[in-house]
Amino acid sequence: MTTHDTTETTESAVDPSEEGIDWQTKLRYFLNSDFVRSSPYWGIPFIIMGIAVYGGIGYNLAISFTDYAGIARPSFSSLDLEMYRRALADESFRAAAFQNFVLLVGFTSISLGLGLFLAVLLDYGIRYKETIQTIYLLPMALSFVVTAQLWLWMYSPGNGVLNIFVTALGFDSIDWLGDPRIALAAVIFALVWQFSGYAMVVFLAGLQSLPDDQFEAAKVDGASTTKTYVRIIVPQLKQASVGAAVVLMLFALKAFDFLYAITGNYRPPNGTDILATLMVREAFQYGQWAYGAAIATMLLLLSLAVIAPYLIFQHRQGSL
Amino acid sequence: MARLEIDDVTKEYRSGESSVVAVQDIAVEVPDGDFLVLVGPSGCGKSTTLRMIAGLEEITEGEIRLGGRTINDVSAQERDIAMVFQSYALYPHKTVRSNMSFGLEESTELSDSAIAETVEETAAMMGIEDLLDRKPGELSGGQQQRVALGRAIVRDPDVFLMDEPLSNLDAKLRAEMRTELQHLQEQLDVTTVYVTHDQTEAMTMGDRIAVLDEGELQQVGTPLECYHEPNNLFVASFIGEPSMNFFDGTLENDALVTDYFEYPLSQESRRDLESGGDLVLGIRPEDARIGDAQQSDRRFEAEVLVVEPMGNENIIHLQFDGMAVDDEFVVTTEGVPNVSAGDRVGVEFPEPAIHLFDGAGGDAIKNRDLSFTGTPDAVLP
Repeated sequence: MTTHDTTETTESAVDPSEEGIDWQTKLRYFLNSDFVRSSPYWGIPFIIMGIAVYGGIGYNLAISFTDYAGIARPSFSSLDLEMYRRALADESFRAAAFQNFVLLVGFTSISLGLGLFLAVLLDYGIRYKETIQTIYLLPMALSFVVTAQLWLWMYSPGNGVLNIFVTALGFDSIDWLGDPRIALAAVIFALVWQFSGYAMVVFLAGLQSLPDDQFEAAKVDGASTTKTYVRIIVPQLKQASVGAAVVLMLFALKAFDFLYAITGNYRPPNGTDILATLMVREAFQYGQWAYGAAIATMLLLLSLAVIAPYLIFQHRQGSL
Repeated sequence: MARLEIDDVTKEYRSGESSVVAVQDIAVEVPDGDFLVLVGPSGCGKSTTLRMIAGLEEITEGEIRLGGRTINDVSAQERDIAMVFQSYALYPHKTVRSNMSFGLEESTELSDSAIAETVEETAAMMGIEDLLDRKPGELSGGQQQRVALGRAIVRDPDVFLMDEPLSNLDAKLRAEMRTELQHLQEQLDVTTVYVTHDQTEAMTMGDRIAVLDEGELQQVGTPLECYHEPNNLFVASFIGEPSMNFFDGTLENDALVTDYFEYPLSQESRRDLESGGDLVLGIRPEDARIGDAQQSDRRFEAEVLVVEPMGNENIIHLQFDGMAVDDEFVVTTEGVPNVSAGDRVGVEFPEPAIHLFDGAGGDAIKNRDLSFTGTPDAVLP
């Protein structure tokens, strides 16, 4: 009881909202608070993030409800969901969404699978040595523009490396990027080439963090190397898999630069149009600002839908 | 169940030009159903030896035989062994049940129902049947330890290998598990090799213990043999807590002359030792006796530095005049301590209880007389 009283007295002595304290004192208290004194540190990034990111998202959302097009100023007098309705009815939007989905699933799963396979091979080779081969990360260091150019040469219908092999084997040369039926697969293949190294490094880090005695215990238990990886080691890479999958899926949703660099204009090869390229084309080529903004908003929602399971997973693991 | 023979096994790690010998010509036999403890300080090669038995390390030279069959070239998967790791190495993503059944699934042709039944039986025996559906992360250290043991037992192997399995438990639990493990081993009657750096575990658990130092076998024997009849200075100092006291000296005629006292040696103790040879006198703390400060033949004056009453015994740290500041020797007495720090007392080293070691090589020359039991301190005049 006594302790409680003391606390109360102390509090009232320093509480600036207490009557009888003049405004100068209140101001001094306010300026001295941790909140104000630390503001130069968090304030600047807070403002930049607020305006550049969340302001941008907000403005984009607002535009998507208007009919903004061409060079006129946007009018916010009548806001509706017309652009969203238009998108859902639009054949090219639906095609882009479908191709985007194929890219997302195909690219993510192949990259993860290949990355895991490479990581296991590498881990098996270097488990008791201490060198990590960074060479597998090299494709990641290349800009998408470079990768696109590289694969453009590889896929070239006339004298590309792939067609040289194909014709040498006696087949007709294939127009890899020109044929809408295989263009998307060709793009996925090129992206997998660039990103499987990333997936591998994530998996390899996960593998390397597992103690040797897991391998030894499995060995003593009579498990072969393959069984050890399949039943004991790989299941322990859940965290790494989820992390890598989220990064790859987000990339698949916004893989604009690679497709842009392949053709050098807003229209990617037939059959490879995805939401990001459609959005940029609608907005910056045709001036359909509101329509482009609506597509952008849907893309953002899809990205959030991809991240949400990850956040829930992290939360369950207790790391969020 | 099988007899395990380790026949002149050597392990050498080579990297480029240099090589390190971790284990040098170790030879031990473990009869069927026996409990052998490999004990020694860290880096003595005990874990390497165990890992060679397990098949986790290659054998550079020598042979390991299990049930008469040479297993040098048999992979770890094919050897019928089970190992308990210091870290337990439980599979964190599997339930206790799958942790225990994994080895049976991989190494036997048993049907799923037979495996499930064996797992349940072993779990019941270990008292962990309630934990079967939990994952290792949800268990306490002691429970994890039991699961690790259960995982080894369920395999019903030829040999159990245990690599410091109790070192991650707290002192009380460790003492409990020590007894329980011994009991289990007797009950299962499976040949067991147990690695520890803790001489208490070695003394209390093993049918026989093998003391290792710097990759070499120092002594193999029952715990009491190693305690009372050590082969050399290393075994004498490693086994026993508090450890044996040693005094360097020289044999001059019929007495051992040290920096602090002259100890008369009887004809029987001297045997055919030549005068002038370097010797080390060793005496266990419980064999030395404390009385009043009066000097006699084998009784020397010393000052009490510290008294540590443990309840059942007292550990008394003493110093002879002229000893270096950080140098001391230890005597234990029973009952209520009757000396305190600063007292000057007489310490007697009864001749039947002393050990003599060769000053150059450390080999034992004379070990204590086993028939000598000593007399209580109080009887001392």
